[in-house]
Amino acid sequence: MTTTTSLPKVRSTALWRGIAGVVGLALILEFASRSGIVNPAFLPPFSAVLTKAVLLWGDPVFREDVLATLLSYVYGMLIAIVVAVPLGIFLGLFRPAYRASRAVVELVRPIPPVALVPLVLLLLGAGLEMKLVIVVFAAVWPIMFNTLYGVHDVDPYTKEMARSFGVTRLGVVRRIVLPAAAPFIMTGIRIASSITLIVVVTVELIAGGSQGIGSFISRERAYGDAESYLAVLAATVTAGLLGLVINLVIGWVERRFFGWDSTTRGGI
Amino acid sequence: MIIRTEPRRRGRNALVSLAYFVVPLVVLVALWQLVTIYNPSPFFPPPIAIAQNLGFLLFGGSAVFTPVFYEDFLSTVGRMLLGYAIGAVWGVVIGTAMGLSRGARETVTPIVEFLRSIPATATLPLFIILLGGGDDMRVVFIAYGVSWFVLINTASGVGSIHKTMLDLGQVFRVHPVRRLFSIVLPAASPKIFAGLRIASTAALLLAIVSEFILASNGIGFQLIQAQGRFQLLNMWSWMLALAILGLIINFLLDFIEGRVLAWHRLSRAKI
Repeated sequence: MTTTTSLPKVRSTALWRGIAGVVGLALILEFASRSGIVNPAFLPPFSAVLTKAVLLWGDPVFREDVLATLLSYVYGMLIAIVVAVPLGIFLGLFRPAYRASRAVVELVRPIPPVALVPLVLLLLGAGLEMKLVIVVFAAVWPIMFNTLYGVHDVDPYTKEMARSFGVTRLGVVRRIVLPAAAPFIMTGIRIASSITLIVVVTVELIAGGSQGIGSFISRERAYGDAESYLAVLAATVTAGLLGLVINLVIGWVERRFFGWDSTTRGGI
Repeated sequence: MIIRTEPRRRGRNALVSLAYFVVPLVVLVALWQLVTIYNPSPFFPPPIAIAQNLGFLLFGGSAVFTPVFYEDFLSTVGRMLLGYAIGAVWGVVIGTAMGLSRGARETVTPIVEFLRSIPATATLPLFIILLGGGDDMRVVFIAYGVSWFVLINTASGVGSIHKTMLDLGQVFRVHPVRRLFSIVLPAASPKIFAGLRIASTAALLLAIVSEFILASNGIGFQLIQAQGRFQLLNMWSWMLALAILGLIINFLLDFIEGRVLAWHRLSRAKI
């Protein structure tokens, strides 16, 4: 009940259609597995996967893995924001610095973050630091570039006005540039957020030994029996739920605090 | 973007831009080279050695291209492009259907929202279980991961087309197929391209990850092999190869986007 009142835009037909879609897909999956169209060992019934996903929460090892993934995500995002926002503001305000750094940035940015895994793994070992280095590398770019666009978008007259009213340079950044660029920064954070979760899970999946949902999936896959396939699927579903919750929270923050700005509406 | 200045100023401006682009890069590479020469570290080989080694790996054989070039470099590129193409087409088709039909959109939105929240790479073990460890699995996996970015953007682009435009096509009794290709898709193309751009970065990442986990060839495979054997120079060379590949993909998309969306930029510039 509370969900329908807190999400005002959802019409009741949309809600019913959505439910029908989910139930329909669940039934198809269930039927495909139970009737033997797909080998049930490879694709267990949907209900079994859901049950397993719930049961997994009773497993302390799995809970710790989920927590490890969540922590890596949160730390990674925080570090990326702390690094990228000041950098974006600096590059946005000082044109020569922006022009001088562009070549290097354009060259480094397209490197897929996971390509760094082997190197960082050798340098730092399979721990939280290794994960964070790669996650921050991945998350910094979208935040930095959106901050930069936001700073470029600030009305220059407003800045001049503030300066002529005796606001210091730092004050202009704090009172004018930062608030004006905030919706852009938020867009960058939203894009970085989905990338961060992907990279966290990927690094866990590749670099065994560390904790996390990815490590859990990779461990269970190695066993190779039907029961562990079920666990792989259930963990994947859990990763999806985690992603969904993060998306919803970020979407809510954006609407709640930046709803006044047109750049935050719609789209990716 | 067009700056009207005297030709001489413009020539100088271009020179200054070039200097801004080249100088920091040269300085940085030179610095790296110097530091690694005077202070050699097994983890950080000198950049010139990395580039030379990559050249040797790809073009150092008796023929123009080495077997490694065909076996690993081209395999990765081929799988990536095929997966990207399939995922892009699938994303545009489903996204358009979602954008045009409210019933379809409302029915599948919860499913789409959930599935795209699953980190694509987390589904790789599932793909391996279902499809085995072959190349087709890798292509399907890349296509799956890529499709979400295109799908979401297409749905949002098609959904936000002004109703008047669609009605206009209907009033003039334009054939539905033509309506799709000359009204709906062009109107949504700026958004679709934004999706294609994000998807291109994802495609390279997914291609490599799929080779990290289970493969017998490809850049990702070579990278992980080099790391396992502690061949750091090779490892760096393959990382350089990935950076160059990413750069080329970015450049190509910029070029295509500039061509296809030229009308869009012009029409916006007028406003």
